[in-house]
Amino acid sequence: MLSLRSLRKSFGSIQAVDGLSLEIHRGEVFGLLGPNGAGKSTTIAMSIGLLKPDEGTVELEGVGSPRDARARRHLGLAPQSLALYDDLSAEENLVFFSRLYAVPQPKRRSAELLELVGLSARARDRVKGFSGGMKRRLNLAVALVHRPSLVLLDEPTAGVDPQSRASILELVRELASGGVTVVYTTHYMDEAQRVCDRVAILDHGRVLALGTVDELVRAHGGEVTVVVERGDEMERIPTAEPLTVIGRMLESGAATGIRIERPDLEGVFLSLTGRSLRD
Amino acid sequence: MNAIIAIAVKDLTLVLRDRTAAFFIFVFPLFVALFFGVIFSGAGRAGSGRMPVAVVNESTGARGAALVAQLAADASITATIVPSREEGERGVRRGRFVACVIVPASFDAGMLSLFAGGGLTIELVTDPSRRAEAGLLEGKLNELAFLQLSSMFEDAQAMSQMTTLGRTALLASGMDDEQRLALGGVFTGLDRFTAARARSEAAARAPSEADAAPGSGAADGADDQPAWRPLRVNVSTVLDERKNPRTSYEISFGQGVVWGLMSCVTGFGASLAEERSRGTLLRLRTAPIRRRQVLLGKALAAFTACMLVQGMLIALGQLPFFGVQISSWPLALTATVITGIGFSGLMMLLAGLTRTEGGAQGLGRAAVLVLAMIGGGTIPLFFMPPWLQAISSISPFSWATTAIDGYTWRAFTLTEMAPALGVLLAVGVIGFVVGTLCMRWQEE
Repeated sequence: MLSLRSLRKSFGSIQAVDGLSLEIHRGEVFGLLGPNGAGKSTTIAMSIGLLKPDEGTVELEGVGSPRDARARRHLGLAPQSLALYDDLSAEENLVFFSRLYAVPQPKRRSAELLELVGLSARARDRVKGFSGGMKRRLNLAVALVHRPSLVLLDEPTAGVDPQSRASILELVRELASGGVTVVYTTHYMDEAQRVCDRVAILDHGRVLALGTVDELVRAHGGEVTVVVERGDEMERIPTAEPLTVIGRMLESGAATGIRIERPDLEGVFLSLTGRSLRD
Repeated sequence: MNAIIAIAVKDLTLVLRDRTAAFFIFVFPLFVALFFGVIFSGAGRAGSGRMPVAVVNESTGARGAALVAQLAADASITATIVPSREEGERGVRRGRFVACVIVPASFDAGMLSLFAGGGLTIELVTDPSRRAEAGLLEGKLNELAFLQLSSMFEDAQAMSQMTTLGRTALLASGMDDEQRLALGGVFTGLDRFTAARARSEAAARAPSEADAAPGSGAADGADDQPAWRPLRVNVSTVLDERKNPRTSYEISFGQGVVWGLMSCVTGFGASLAEERSRGTLLRLRTAPIRRRQVLLGKALAAFTACMLVQGMLIALGQLPFFGVQISSWPLALTATVITGIGFSGLMMLLAGLTRTEGGAQGLGRAAVLVLAMIGGGTIPLFFMPPWLQAISSISPFSWATTAIDGYTWRAFTLTEMAPALGVLLAVGVIGFVVGTLCMRWQEE
């Protein structure tokens, strides 16, 4: 659906993207993860045609480069910043963006989307009175006005309440099941683990790891840890055979509690990108 | 095209919902027009624009009284007779009067001894801060003095007194006999001329008029026959009667338009920076439209607002109370459209040159406000000193003011209007091109 081939982009002496290649398939939710400054935003900007790569190509399957305005008709973007007009109502925002994409019957489409994101009751209210979660949901709805085949969601759940977050994640999965390709960037690893079919971890403008969450965990997550509690003491035992370790602990009878800590995406992320702070 | 219109409608909606921006674009210009209209009220009416002058008459003679009467009757002066020169000077110091004219006690005697070394003396006390008006007043006094002098030549009794005093002075002078004889011949000639004129007038007039007093006779004579006036200044303006501002609102509505245009430029100029900081520009740029369509949409919104503010003020000006007359509706429409294009371009330039809302507002205040002020927003262009008028030609607002005056009280032809329209059109095109290039450069 989206092919990024050998992309390079620098800003002065800073190499933001350094030979990045990705193939994103139709109907998948693709997670683009990385610490701050990893090159995610630059990659997205090139993917939607806003930035021209210094080298390499970006191609949307069947429609060409997103630098072409006609190709962008197939793209939807929900930026990290809430790109909405506060003094317009939710409906007016949707109708306005519908008109930019020449969507037929924009009011009808607006009503459908407001229903989809649970904002029908607030359709006529100005956005400036909305909560953060409502704005996030509307921000996502705007990205969908023209029924794009590829949607880029940049931190779509930043700063929202658990209910809105759950609603957004559910919507992302619904989109994918409807055949829409979703590129999803987030700093919440549990979210990525929950909704992404595949994940790429970026740092310094390069892809460090690419695959399904399970593949990445297997490849980079390390062993399972069996945590054994003995009164106030706690022992952590990394092992490839957790059942054997647990059986042994039970036989010894000394354990007051046993639990298994499985490696997760966060562990993978930290092991690949390191623990040093990024600004 | 639909995308451009959608962006324009959205921008106009946002401006109308921002009460502060809407106030400054649509309401404040009306206040400016009304405020300056009241300030300049009466500028186009008869009797307005008179210089307030204090007049002290220390003379007890008929000539002094006649001069005071002429001052009081003059259309360019509002003469207030004050009892003493101290009071007159106090009025000048306090700014109540432009000057104080003092007709001295020796005024009549000085006139009669014109051929005996005397002459006309009028004292003038002026406000040093109003030199131009004092100069005008000095000229006016010269004119009135000449009128007095001419009336003397028509007054037989006065002429007789003048030649008698002249002969006495001639005898006492140190001239040689030849010069004295020649000058005596002049006085004799004047006496004969005066006697012949008196006989002629007596034959032409009724007996009661022939017996009229010398002072009033002079005035009457001036009416019946052309008085002797060594200098005549026939004053006319470059504009005929049709082209004079009929009301002060014909000037102030132009100022209102300037303020409206300024608010459009600053208001819409900041909108691009707002879109950038809000993130909506990113969304606009990812839509299947070109950069220039985004900018054209914004320019269309600014153009529409410029047209609305101009149209609103023109329409209000047509109310009988304001009496703003349009000399040519086709020319007014042309000028309004081209002014809208020019200021949309200026808005684009402002939008392109600034990245942040603060920058747009700062540049708006610093540059656009100054350009509007020197372009006729505060002081009408024709009130400005020449050096400021020269500087103001760099301001598009100045050309807009010229165009507005052109289709109202100046009643320009298309040829006369062409330079202003050309400059405004050029500003529009250059502003749009430079603004677009700047925006592209900032994005890349």
